[in-house]
Amino acid sequence: MSDAPAEAPGTDAEAGSDPDPDSTPNAGPLGSRSNRELIAWAAIGTLAALLLGGAAFPNTILGVLADVITDKDTLSAALRLSVPIAFAALGGIFSEKSGVINIGLEGLLIISAFTAIYVTDVTGGIWIGFGGGVVASTLLALLFAVVTIEFRADQIIAGLAVWLIALGLAPFASQVIYNGPNTPTVGTTGSIYVPVLAEIPFFGALFSASPSVYMLFVAVAASWYVFERTAFGRWIRASGENPKALDTAGVNVSRVRYVGILVSGVLAGMGGSALSLDLGQFTGNGPTMVNGKGFIAIVAYLFGNYNPIGAFLATMLFAGLDAIQTVLQLQGIGLPRQLIRIIPFVVVIVVLALVGRTRLPEAAGDHYESGEE
Amino acid sequence: MSKAVRLEGITKRFPGVVANDDVHFEVERGTVHALLGENGAGKTTLMNVLYGLYEPTSGRVEVDGEKRRFDSPRDAIDAGIGMIHQHFMLVDPMTVTENITLGNEPRKWGGLAVDRTAAREEVTALADRYGFDIDPDARIEDVSVGEQQRVEILKALYRGADTLILDEPTAVLTPQEIDDLFGVLGELTAQGKTIIFITHKLGEAMAAADEISVLRDGRKVGTVDAGDTTREGLAELMVGREVLLDVDRPPAETGDVVASLSDITVDDDRGVRAVDGVDFELRGGEVLGIAGVDGNGQSELVEALTGLRTPDAGTVEFLGADVTDDSRRRRTEAGMAYIPEDRQERGVVMNFDLVENALLGSQHSTEFGPNGRIDWPETRAHAETVIDEYDVRTPGADTAAKSLSGGNQQKFIVGREFERDPELVVASHPTRGVDVGSIEFIHERLLELREAGVAVLLISSKLEEVQGLSDRLAVMYEGEFVDVVDPTTTTESELGLLMAGQDPAESDDPGTAESTDRDDPVDAPAGGERA
Amino acid sequence: MTSADRARRVLKRLVAASAAERILISSAALGLSILLGAVLVLIAGRMTTCTASDAVYYFGTGFCYDPVLVFDRLFLGALGEPFSGGWSPEGQFSVTLRETTLLMFTGLSVALAFRAGIFNIGTQGQMVVGGLATAVLVLRAADLVSGVVGAVLLIPFGVVVGAVFGGLYGSIPGFLKAYADANEVITTIMLNFIATGVTLYLVSGAFKDPESAANQTVPLPEYAQFPTVLFGGRQDFSLVALAFGVLAIGGLYYLLEHTAFGYDIRTSGLQPDAAEYGGVDAKRTIVASLTLSGAFGGVAGAMYVMMVLGTFQSGLPSYGFDGITVSILAGNNPIGVGFAALLFGVLKSGTTVVQFATDVPPQLVGVLRGLIILFVAMPEFFRMVGRRVVDPGSKPVATDGGPAKGSADE
Repeated sequence: MSDAPAEAPGTDAEAGSDPDPDSTPNAGPLGSRSNRELIAWAAIGTLAALLLGGAAFPNTILGVLADVITDKDTLSAALRLSVPIAFAALGGIFSEKSGVINIGLEGLLIISAFTAIYVTDVTGGIWIGFGGGVVASTLLALLFAVVTIEFRADQIIAGLAVWLIALGLAPFASQVIYNGPNTPTVGTTGSIYVPVLAEIPFFGALFSASPSVYMLFVAVAASWYVFERTAFGRWIRASGENPKALDTAGVNVSRVRYVGILVSGVLAGMGGSALSLDLGQFTGNGPTMVNGKGFIAIVAYLFGNYNPIGAFLATMLFAGLDAIQTVLQLQGIGLPRQLIRIIPFVVVIVVLALVGRTRLPEAAGDHYESGEE
Repeated sequence: MSKAVRLEGITKRFPGVVANDDVHFEVERGTVHALLGENGAGKTTLMNVLYGLYEPTSGRVEVDGEKRRFDSPRDAIDAGIGMIHQHFMLVDPMTVTENITLGNEPRKWGGLAVDRTAAREEVTALADRYGFDIDPDARIEDVSVGEQQRVEILKALYRGADTLILDEPTAVLTPQEIDDLFGVLGELTAQGKTIIFITHKLGEAMAAADEISVLRDGRKVGTVDAGDTTREGLAELMVGREVLLDVDRPPAETGDVVASLSDITVDDDRGVRAVDGVDFELRGGEVLGIAGVDGNGQSELVEALTGLRTPDAGTVEFLGADVTDDSRRRRTEAGMAYIPEDRQERGVVMNFDLVENALLGSQHSTEFGPNGRIDWPETRAHAETVIDEYDVRTPGADTAAKSLSGGNQQKFIVGREFERDPELVVASHPTRGVDVGSIEFIHERLLELREAGVAVLLISSKLEEVQGLSDRLAVMYEGEFVDVVDPTTTTESELGLLMAGQDPAESDDPGTAESTDRDDPVDAPAGGERA
Repeated sequence: MTSADRARRVLKRLVAASAAERILISSAALGLSILLGAVLVLIAGRMTTCTASDAVYYFGTGFCYDPVLVFDRLFLGALGEPFSGGWSPEGQFSVTLRETTLLMFTGLSVALAFRAGIFNIGTQGQMVVGGLATAVLVLRAADLVSGVVGAVLLIPFGVVVGAVFGGLYGSIPGFLKAYADANEVITTIMLNFIATGVTLYLVSGAFKDPESAANQTVPLPEYAQFPTVLFGGRQDFSLVALAFGVLAIGGLYYLLEHTAFGYDIRTSGLQPDAAEYGGVDAKRTIVASLTLSGAFGGVAGAMYVMMVLGTFQSGLPSYGFDGITVSILAGNNPIGVGFAALLFGVLKSGTTVVQFATDVPPQLVGVLRGLIILFVAMPEFFRMVGRRVVDPGSKPVATDGGPAKGSADE
């Protein structure tokens, strides 16, 4: 304590740590906000410089890069790649804002990705399969909710368990049903093509995309609306920041947290279903086809400061980098793929080091019992 | 006319503690009533009973003349009681309006949206009615603590509170904000609201309240009219007039200077100045007592001395060396023993047994941890010595600290620290929450150390303790030493005056007559006998 | 009053988790997971098809998979058929011990950090970094020596290299936590991805074995790998490595229980305020314990390279994550890590036996792992069950206020 008297002790996610009751939560968020802005501006500045440089010297690497960035296919790929991550990130926001850190998003994506294919295969209906994936993910989220709210399990460890259970269960089921960790191929969700608009350079990609991309847009907007405009959104925020304030205001904190976690299950389920149905197959080898997207989602919403739109933009940044490197590789300009892949992770660590403590919701990670304290 | 609130014979027992003992308490409607007492006197417990957080073991709660039973704060809120906690129940990233309306948001569109215009208008109207100057759209984290407090008050009013309980409302405020708060309280009572104001600061009780009730050790020791009482009288009521310790104390044979603090200035965790330029020297063989109401900078001063906190200015010298930048460990190794005030947080590791706890602070010493390897047999022997010599009642050295009673934990800590063979002992509230037998024991040991030439710094809010044990007695008020006096020639009422921050010159000056006059009414109306 | 009440709350929580209770909870979690696993096997057995003669019958219903057989194969198979005669150390049992050895190190890595109050999810990354460093540096060093002398020098050298690089990698989240207040759960997860990416880049480029199609380093010469003693070489298990593991368990136990540094770690983990009072340098302890934790992870990587593969290949198995399970199950106690590692060694090794003997997919073990963690994470569940068993019909006391409702001041 003596070392950082003015530091705002936000809640950290450590197992079993108690938040400092003498905390003055004033300094942290302001500090992090300005740093975040700085980073966002730096990103925009870099992009602008790249495009200008590319326009000025079209025949250099800058020119190629600028071409790739402004290519319609790049945007299209970025949108596609960001769907599962962004859905999971939205889900993570609902859960964590309500005070429950959901590190099991990865598991929710895995279970829904598999179930969507399975149900599609059995019923033949792609959208029934999509719904099946959402249901599976929601059920797993319900398990997580019961365990953390009723049985006061440590949220981080329980989240890890959710991930590991799904990581085992999905390939297990695939093996039982299809005799292999990978499922056979079923139909895909296809894409919606808006005539004329889809012809617009670059932004045309927005009008020729998979239905899940449009669902994502709706989900981002709806999430924003819930948090900013509805009473329930306020309760979620209060439940994560100061559950006692909510409790004394006559709102049942446990119920709000249950709903928060279940919504995270629904949203992550949509992401997982969209992921597998986009390809029409679930691949369950190693880390499965989800391959860390749930963890990147956590990073995305932290980076987006728990704002649905911010989280979506952060996801687009990560997915955009990924899309650009894919395109570059196709063109034979090899920046090593493995190194580009890690850029988001490095960025997160640098951001954390600069911003210091991420401003988690004040009470995130803590069990809350009505009448306690 | 019925009282706004009437508590009759309230007793609240916790396992092993009686927090409230047959307390009668009533509040006139439309007045400010201060509930005054030291920390731990049972003020907050009593108000939690009224607010439905605790069910009393026995006794009766009446609101507006009607007997009530509150199972939860919600029942109390429904009965028109609102409580403003010391730690605000506010959501920092949300706006003033959002906080005030939380859980009762006006809706529109069939409940699908919060009617933000209506909410804002309602809040503005409420604030205007009570003359609160507040921006309904500001975020809580961006407004001052004083404004946050007003938001809390508005939140209670928005929910229809007629009686407001404020728990230590001034603890976090600046003097200017305190004045503003008192203005707000006046406005509220003028409009018929009733205020109960929990505090341990007697000056504020006198300034803000119409009536003052004093609690001590869970019992109410008196209710006085703020108009005809004095600070000294209240101070005496608060700390009591227990019999002074009858200890045989030869005059101090002081040795060399052991510790010397100059111009120590410390800001607390909120950035508020807690210690403001304190100087003192402490010699071997003397006990320097620091008296004062809790929260006047004693804790921060002690932490700066013992190395738990870096002072913002000033130097700490120990045994002739400047140790201002030395770590806690180096200070301990140099011979500084420290009995911390929060024993279960700092003094012992609750989950360790007594052998492991005997090692705390000595794990790197040559005696118990030579070359980084712990000598457990030696440590065990040490733990057993402490247990034997300091009368720690425990089944054995392998018992976890958490299974011991508070008094025995404290005796163990005292023993461990005294057995360090220290040059200086810093004892912070060494007998708080300890049974009478252990108190005597700890006092005797402290005096033994003094005779052995050890320097002792004793911090306590118990007057009889610091008065009975100290050779010199410093009184701390708002981060400063108001005066350093000879405890044998200073009366309790003079000390009470000093603890309330009165100019010390008055008692030293030839013009003592004035202060004697002042003393006179004290003994009469405010005596402890009334309890 | 505030601090006293806070302390009371802490105390309540601590009282609730004595060592005996922890063993009980771990065992119950294990038992319950196996039970649920059995149910899962039955359900899976209904979902697949088989001939009637292959099916087993329980409660008058036919199932394609037999859970009894599965767990029989899982445990007995992993122990090398101790009851059917012809037990040989070279069989499946040595695979079990091989897995156990690796899990010991990753388990110790996680346990050490946990004891300091830090959640190190980054053991996997620390293992990857340590493993690659060992593979590359031992290969360089192997040119200088050979034969028995080579083994005697190179193996300790490789272990030290793994420890140093794993430790350095582990110190990154340590510094970030101590000096930038960055949450170690997030940084270690990120560092795992970074470790995987960077090593993949290196092993597919600069350090790639030109003669191999896989992304791997040039294989180490035989004398730079752990010698097989007693157990034959077939299963890539070395008793020497296991001895290292047992030594590490003893070492960490000694460190925690008998050294001043260990005392600092334990005190910080249990009660940071008391540690500060007792003269513990909080920042130094964080960095040191994460460094040491990373070193254990790095050694696991070195062991994997020098005992199992003989080279570093991208895509190391998830021993690091398994280490979390091992440590949680062991209550973060080094001795307990030994037993938990053996249990998970059995599970991992038994997986292949199950695969061979039945049609039940091997991923079952992954599910079991998740279930075990889930149950260990919710001691409250077992306490509730326990209370109901001990005193049916009793409800939590709500009326006596006090500790049930907790502190009043905050």
